[in-house]
Amino acid sequence: MTTEIPEKKELQIPSQMFDILMAYAANVKMAKDKGKPVVWSSVLVPKEIFQAMDVPVIYLELISAVVALMQSSGQYCEIAEEKGFSRDVCAFHRCFLGCAAAEERDPFLESVFATPDLIIASNIPCISESKSLLFSAKHFKCPYILIDTPLNTWENNEVPDYTVEYYVGQLREAIDLIKGQGYKFDLDRLKDTVDLSRRLMLVLDEVEGYRKAVPTPIGPVDALWCSVATRLAEPNLALDLFTQLRDELKERVENKIGVLDDEKLRLYFFGVPTLYNMELLNYPEKYGAIIIKSWLEYLFGGAFDPNILNPEKPLESLAIRTITDILNPPFGSMLDFTVKEVKDFQADGVLSVVKRSCGLLPGMTRPIKDAVYDKAGIPTTIFDLDGLDTRERDDVTATTNIDSFIETLLASKRRS
Amino acid sequence: MEALNTLRDVVKNPKRIPEDWKAQGKKVVGYRCINVPEEIIYAAGMIPYPLFGTPKAVSLADSYFQPCVCEFIRNVFDLALEGELKFLDGLALCNTCDAVRKLYDMWNLYIKPSSCYIINNPQKLLYEANYKLYRKELERFKQAMEELSGNRISDESLQEAIDLYNENRALLKELYLLRKVENPPFSGEEALDIVMACMLMPKESCNQLLRQLLKEVKGREVYNDSGPRVLITGSIIDDPTLIRMVEEVGGLVVADDLCTTTKYFWHQVKREKDPLDAIYKYNNESCLCACMHPQEARFDYLMELIREFSVDGVIYFNLKYCHPFLYEAPLFQEKLEAEDIPTIFLETGHDLSGIGQLRTRVQAFIEMLG
Ligand code: SF4
Ligand code: SF4
Repeated sequence: MTTEIPEKKELQIPSQMFDILMAYAANVKMAKDKGKPVVWSSVLVPKEIFQAMDVPVIYLELISAVVALMQSSGQYCEIAEEKGFSRDVCAFHRCFLGCAAAEERDPFLESVFATPDLIIASNIPCISESKSLLFSAKHFKCPYILIDTPLNTWENNEVPDYTVEYYVGQLREAIDLIKGQGYKFDLDRLKDTVDLSRRLMLVLDEVEGYRKAVPTPIGPVDALWCSVATRLAEPNLALDLFTQLRDELKERVENKIGVLDDEKLRLYFFGVPTLYNMELLNYPEKYGAIIIKSWLEYLFGGAFDPNILNPEKPLESLAIRTITDILNPPFGSMLDFTVKEVKDFQADGVLSVVKRSCGLLPGMTRPIKDAVYDKAGIPTTIFDLDGLDTRERDDVTATTNIDSFIETLLASKRRS
Repeated sequence: MEALNTLRDVVKNPKRIPEDWKAQGKKVVGYRCINVPEEIIYAAGMIPYPLFGTPKAVSLADSYFQPCVCEFIRNVFDLALEGELKFLDGLALCNTCDAVRKLYDMWNLYIKPSSCYIINNPQKLLYEANYKLYRKELERFKQAMEELSGNRISDESLQEAIDLYNENRALLKELYLLRKVENPPFSGEEALDIVMACMLMPKESCNQLLRQLLKEVKGREVYNDSGPRVLITGSIIDDPTLIRMVEEVGGLVVADDLCTTTKYFWHQVKREKDPLDAIYKYNNESCLCACMHPQEARFDYLMELIREFSVDGVIYFNLKYCHPFLYEAPLFQEKLEAEDIPTIFLETGHDLSGIGQLRTRVQAFIEMLG
């Protein structure tokens, strides 16, 4: 008797996630056109506040990512440079500053771009997050508030009350400013939103579990769109979609269906992937190698501890989640987390790319390389790659680096 | 110019002071930057040692930090890797920029046996709601310094340290205000040396020297011609080459806003019942760095310096890959333009790479001001 192997079909959910992202951006623009005030913010500001108050938000990193996808990031970076911003500052922020300052925008950008009525900035994971938006606040003459996040010098979830109190106080100030724009705040609604986030995290945990399977059931590009959707999708919809994704992955894992028919190598990607050329993420497949996890996913709500979120103490738990975020310096917990991830995902190697204009990651590549090698015996290759600014695009160098790393890994696999 | 020469000698050999101190069996704590309360280190019976870099090219540190990380931080890390900072018993940093945060991580991972501490200060200043957090973090820092030194810091010893440091600040400010006159009694290059020496020295002997210097410079005139008056602001400058260059081409550097000059001493720690509260207020109320918020407060202070010192033009200096100042520069330059104050943006590596090419631009700027 033979077991019937189900046919390998495309995953259904990730493409829906991509559509959600585009719809989200268009909705913000539509809201603005209808006279609703728009907030600009960055991805480590707790999204639940915005969701609970129905505020349309532009996340600057996401606009830059979309602009890079459309191959226009170089052009907008250049506009920011003409305004005096050095090419050495983060390309995400430069690109966004260029979008803000441009006298004319490309039609695709214009269709998702809405000017700010309020800016809520953060100072994690890096200084760019707080400083670049100051220019926009001045340019659009709108109020600006920084949510100052204490460093996680405790590196566990036991953050002292006084740091939580400090963060919560600022969240309250931000809420008041949003209310000043005509939006309503309802504590019960926030509790519900936080609860939905908690449930989403539980589902994400399961999704992550399936992603660790060999062969990996989801490709790197699909996974990246899904991670962005964790932030942008309406909470109920997100919960629904990720539940369906979990089921799709479960089915694949149970039937041992992977993205590759013969998965030879598993790679972990550290850094900013080439948003202007997502195909590069699939490039290793020609060797039977696959990127099983991209570090950037954590930025949009990767695997965090769901138990942190307590709907009965919504603001406090959002504060604790942000302070203990693995991207909040110092990076002790980030190192431990990465080592664990690389082990759990059964990676054979780490592709670590340096975005020259980033203030954060270029100081982390060496410790990550050392930690994953010392604690998990996994090698890393490090090379320059700006994933955002199209003017820095250099596919030949990128693929040459990937080629030689994969060849070395395959050779050592053959030997062992 | 005995006092001036003595001070300038200190800068030529910055390690001599901590070595002498250590020879007496005492401990040395390196620190960066102005938001680290030196008084707490001093009150614990230790000497604070400001981290300065050297103009040498980075070598070992490049395999730890990528070359696009602030060159000052890489240079300091290089010194540590080479064992040049072995005399430090600890290092105290504060929450300023990404590069300093990374230095904290890297130091604890790779530099042995010295331990590194980071003060978890808020970045939002002039903000009363930060009191509880900042105050608790100062208490933690005090406790860490007590543990490192083995000495308890009493309120009295902390107040004494504050008084001593305040005196140092007041003397430096008195000296600096002399630069308001048409022909200042010391040059920009000398000013940098004086403050850097004061940062290095134990304050008792330093204050004596400053008092002597104040007498010595009375009536002195350093510039041959009265050229345009310049203010330098921006990233850290711990080497006089750029300032010297400005002066060589005829500029008078009459004011500077750097963490190795004015920012170090411009304000006083006001007396409070609780000395730790006094330190908190000092740090919370002097918002002088591009790393901190709100930016407007810093701009106001800069505009005040420009007016007080009758400045004709501003040089905005950026150390390669220093992001806080790179973000600030366009905003500040816009402000200066609105007030019709000429400005120029200059950038070099910490190893002074590219400085030769700047000479023509600096000269043209000074001529334009003249
Ligand atoms: S972490 Fe790096 S890439 Fe991300 S916003 Fe900051 S500087 Fe840019
Ligand atoms: S403020 Fe600038 S010069 Fe100073 S450590 Fe930070 S990046 Fe380097």
